[in-house]
Formats: sequence, structure tokens, C-alpha cells
Amino acid sequence: MIDTSIQMGGLAFRTPLLTGSGTFGYGDEYRTLIDYSAFGGIITKSISRLPRPGNQPPRICETQLGGLLNSIGLANPGVEVFIADKAQILPFDATQVFISVVGDAVEEFVSVVEKLEFVPAVSGYELNLSCPNVQKGGLSLGGDKDAVAEITRACRNVTKRFISVKLTPHHALVAPLAEAAAAAGVDALTMTNTLVGMVIDAETRRPKLGNVTGGYSGPPLKPVSLAKVWQAAKAVSLPIWASGGITCGLDCIEFLLAGASGLQLGSVLFADPYAPTRILREMSEWCEKRGVKKLSDLIGQLKT
Amino acid sequence: MSLPIAEIGEVLNLRNISPDVWDMDVHSPRLAPLAQAGQFVHIRISDRFIPFLRRPLSIGPIDKDVIKLIFIVRGEGTRLLAAKSPGDKIDLIGPLGMPFPMPSDDTLAVLVAGGIGIAPLLLLNQSLPKAVDRLFLLGMRSLKNTPVDLKYAALFNLQLATDDGSAGFHGNVVDLCSQMLKGQQARNINIFACGPVPMLAKIKDIGVTLGVPTYLSLEVPMGCGVGACQSCAVECADGSGYNLVCRDGPVFEAKDIILPRV
Ligand SMILES: Cc1cc2nc3c(=O)[nH]c(=O)nc-3n(C[C@H](O)[C@H](O)[C@H](O)COP(=O)(O)OP(=O)(O)OC[C@H]3O[C@@H](n4cnc5c(N)ncnc54)[C@H](O)[C@@H]3O)c2cc1C
Ligand SMILES: Cc1cc2nc3c(=O)[nH]c(=O)nc-3n(C[C@H](O)[C@H](O)[C@H](O)COP(=O)(O)O)c2cc1C
Repeated sequence: MIDTSIQMGGLAFRTPLLTGSGTFGYGDEYRTLIDYSAFGGIITKSISRLPRPGNQPPRICETQLGGLLNSIGLANPGVEVFIADKAQILPFDATQVFISVVGDAVEEFVSVVEKLEFVPAVSGYELNLSCPNVQKGGLSLGGDKDAVAEITRACRNVTKRFISVKLTPHHALVAPLAEAAAAAGVDALTMTNTLVGMVIDAETRRPKLGNVTGGYSGPPLKPVSLAKVWQAAKAVSLPIWASGGITCGLDCIEFLLAGASGLQLGSVLFADPYAPTRILREMSEWCEKRGVKKLSDLIGQLKT
Repeated sequence: MSLPIAEIGEVLNLRNISPDVWDMDVHSPRLAPLAQAGQFVHIRISDRFIPFLRRPLSIGPIDKDVIKLIFIVRGEGTRLLAAKSPGDKIDLIGPLGMPFPMPSDDTLAVLVAGGIGIAPLLLLNQSLPKAVDRLFLLGMRSLKNTPVDLKYAALFNLQLATDDGSAGFHGNVVDLCSQMLKGQQARNINIFACGPVPMLAKIKDIGVTLGVPTYLSLEVPMGCGVGACQSCAVECADGSGYNLVCRDGPVFEAKDIILPRV
């Protein structure tokens, strides 16, 4: 048996597998379909202070060669409804639970975190500083290292829990953003969110998404997120959570080598909700064949 | 309503009904007994993620352990589905979504199908209490494009409407529907419809004019199918935001939603 456990920021994860925010709802939607024991942790859809209706449909379409474009627009019921409706069903099968938090301004992030501090099952937060589908906040905040530092520090001041900051893939230079977050005292970085993309239907001369542009995810994103994970791991000594294009065990091995400690499964869950169990098996087989005893032994072992 | 399950079904039979229209029987002994009319299955198309997403298809008539799917080839996903052979395994999640409500015995149920939209209505027809009177209407471009084996036409007393007049009423199914409902106003009517959005919009108008409950089954681009990703949003009529087709639909009462733009 391979040892799949990972320690990060004082928390024990039985596996490095996590869910990508927005692809696993609030954690309970799949409960009759899949086995949660392959997950180390679950990250919820991003939650804001007030309800957000989301963008005009259509909100999803495929791209050529297996990519996906979405423009959900952070649709969520707001933190108070989330707490009333969902807090008592957490956690699932001993997974760590992280709430993805989003806002238009520093105060909004802080106010959401403060409210969630009263929910006992929450292990920590992922601050979404990188959503491409909203006018304010998201990308515009997440591209500015001073804003990253300010938001993270403000949240750090109101919680002792685990914090990861999810950064944008849109900046050529990862290091300044990663360092800003690290200096503000976070426990991990998530690399990375979707890239802004667009699909056009030439026949109708219309964009396929109601919001015109959307976030590009799925297998074609993998080389981009691998590079971001590697750059972030070089820049700071924090655990890195990889997000972008993972569909199989070998993808996960590559992300571990690049420096990731957490592996987020996102779009893959739509096609294959059983991916966590399969991926864990594929990683174990890969390790067994090569005499690797612990998954954590692979982290950052890339030879350059 | 039961919670969705995962099942690997087996293709028993696949038949080409008319150009691009296929009828597939899938052995799914765990899922079939749970399914209600209007619900759908979410089907994995490719193990290699191209195309990436699952494809939603309505559950058609059920024969014990076997569900019938009726689909039209629109793109790569349905093309790959049509290329399956008997004996092939098929990865299903279902039954998903909210079914059609069952009308009371004194109701006249009016089932209006536009082309391939007949799939969920065939199961509804099968599921309606025997005592419920019904009108079952099917519109298509031409008899050549029939979405179903025409034996159903006789079996279920299907009233056909064709744009080119090749069978039944010469014209569209909406006009046939208004005609057939003339003089029925005294009755307790429920309308159930599935088809292209422009047709659903006109059926909604008929429902409003007659003041009768009208239930529409919607087809929109969908992601997870289980309410997690919020892709398949449809606007609520009361301005309160969006419903999800996978979780709150695909069947909606017409007055509750704003139909998607085409
Ligand atoms: C709840 C639900 C039930 C459904 N039931 C059935 C069914 O019983 N039988 C059936 O044939 N189809 C049904 N559909 C529609 C079916 O899911 C799509 O036709 C299918 O996903 C298309 O996949 P594809 O890969 O072949 O085409 P794609 O490559 O995805 O699309 C090809 C082209 O067709 C267009 N297109 C895709 N979907 C639709 C649509 N729904 N209406 C109009 N144009 C579309 C696309 O925009 C694109 O231009 C249902 C959809 C939903 C949401
Ligand atoms: C439908 C959808 C909704 C998403 N919603 C969110 C969200 O609310 N917050 C967030 O931080 N990321 C969101 N994401 C981004 C994913 O968490 C992930 O970072 C991205 O999809 C790349 O990973 P993948 O290729 O494995 O999907 C969403 C992605 C998709 C496809």
C-alpha cells in the first residue's frame, strides 16, 4: 500500500485530492453517486456576502479538442443562506472542508470569513482572487499584488484557520503575487484558475456563451497550470494546490513533481465523477511500479 | 422522487428510424424502475474526454429493465452514440431532474411533441393513469423525418402534423393543437410539451390563452447534470434569478420561467 497522506498547514489530508471550486457544488450534490473516501478535502463553490444570480445563459460550452468554457458568474446563495442550508451537512466522510470565498472588495472577503468562523466543520478557506467571469473583484483584484496582500492580510487577521489563495494564470510573473500572499501569512496557494476564452458560432455569428467570454478549463489547460505550479513552488516555500486540466493519475504525478502538494479535480468531475477513486488507483499503481512508498516523496522532485 | 444512481447499462438494440434519428434500447435494471416521465439520463460519451461532457437524453418508454432513448444526431456526441453496437456498455447517471406532474383522472392531457421532443412524452403517455383522456400530437417537417417508428402512431392514436403535408395535418403542431382544443374549454385540461423553443413559446401562449396548466420540458447546454456546476440556468419569471434545468427541471410550469433565447 502506498502512503497517500499529506500534512499541510497543521492539517492532515488522507489523500492530496481536492475538488476544484465550482465543480463540486457545496459537496452534497454527488452524495448518492460517488465514494468520498478518495478525497482529502472538498472545496465549495465560491461564496459571497450577498446572493449572486450568476450570468446570462448559455453558461457552458465545449471547445475543440476537449476543453471547456464556462461563464457561471459566481452564482451562489450568499453566505447566510449557505450557513442556514448547508452548514449542518458538512463535512463528508472525514474530508477536510474548505469554503471558497469571493468578494468585490476587502471588506466583503472579511465579512464572509467572519460569518463562516462560526461553522465548526470548516477547516479553512480558499480566497478566490481570480474569477474571470465577473466585472469587479476577481481578476481585477487578483492581478494586483498590493490587493492580494491586503485581502489576504485582512482575512488572516480574522481567522486562525487554513487559508489558500487562488491566483490568476493571467500574469506572466507568478512570483510577486505568490510572495505577496506568502508574506501575508497564508497556508497554501492554489495555482490556478481558468483562463479567459471565447467560442464563436460562425453560423449564427454569435458567441456561444451569454457572457461572450468565459473561463477556459479542462485538459488543454494542463501545461499552463503545470508552469504556474512550478513557478509558484520555486517562489515560495508554501504548499501549492494544483488546479487545471487534471484527468488522470499520471497528470497528478506530474503536478506533484512540479511542486504541488494538493491536487484539485475540476471539470473532470462533470465527465467522470468517479475520477477520484480511479486517479488514486492510477497514482498508486504508478508508485508501486517504481518503488515509491509515499506520494509526498514526489513533491517538487522535478529535475531541471 | 428517488436520488440518482450510477449504472453501467448495456446497449441491446440500436435502430435508425429516419435520417439522423436513432432509437436505442438500454438494459439498465437498477435505473429503469426508478425513472419517471420527464426525467433524463446523463451519458458518458468518450473515455478519452473528447467530447468532454456527458450528454443528457430524456428517458423514453420503459419496458421492465430496459429504457428507450430516442435521439437525433446533432454533433460529435450523438454521432458517437449512434455508432454503438448491441452489447456495448454505456455509463449512465440517472434518473435526473423533476418529472412531469401526474394529472388527476378527470383531466384531458394534451401531449404536444415537436420532432425528437417526443421521447419524454412517450413515457408520459405510458405512465398516465388509464382513466386520463389524452390527445397526443406530434409535429415534424415531413413524414421522412419521423422521430418514431410509425407503429406508435396507430398504437397511441398519435395525431401527426407535417410542414409539407406528407402526413396528417398540413401545418405545424401548434396550429393543430389550437384547432383540437377548440370546444374543449369546458374540460379540465393540462398541456405537456417538449420540442424546439419557438414551438414551446407558442404552446405557452395557448396555455395562457386557455388558462390551463402547461408544462414544458427544456433542453439547454448542461454540465454536471446534478446541480453542482450551475451551467444549465433558465430565468425565473418572477425575477428571482435562475432555476437549473438539471435539478429544478427539465420540466417547468410555463408560467414560472422565461424561455431561453434561441
Ligand atoms: C434534459 C435534456 C433532455 C434531452 N433529451 C433529448 C432526447 O431525448 N433526444 C435528443 O435527441 N436530444 C435530447 N437532448 C438534447 C441533446 O442532449 C443534445 O442534442 C446533445 O447533447 C447534442 O450533443 P452532440 O455532441 O451531438 O452535439 P454538439 O456538438 O454538442 O452540438 C452540435 C450542434 O447542435 C447544437 N445543439 C446542441 N444541443 C442542442 C439542443 N438541445 N437543441 C438544439 N441544438 C442543439 C449545438 O449548439 C451545436 O451547434 C436533451 C437535452 C436535455 C438538456
Ligand atoms: C463550471 C465551473 C465553475 C467554476 N466556478 C468556480 C468558482 O466558483 N470559484 C473558483 O475559484 N473557481 C471556479 N472554477 C474554476 C475551477 O475551480 C478550476 O480552477 C478550473 O476549472 C481549472 O481546473 P480544471 O481544468 O480541472 O477544471 C469553476 C470552473 C468551472 C468549470
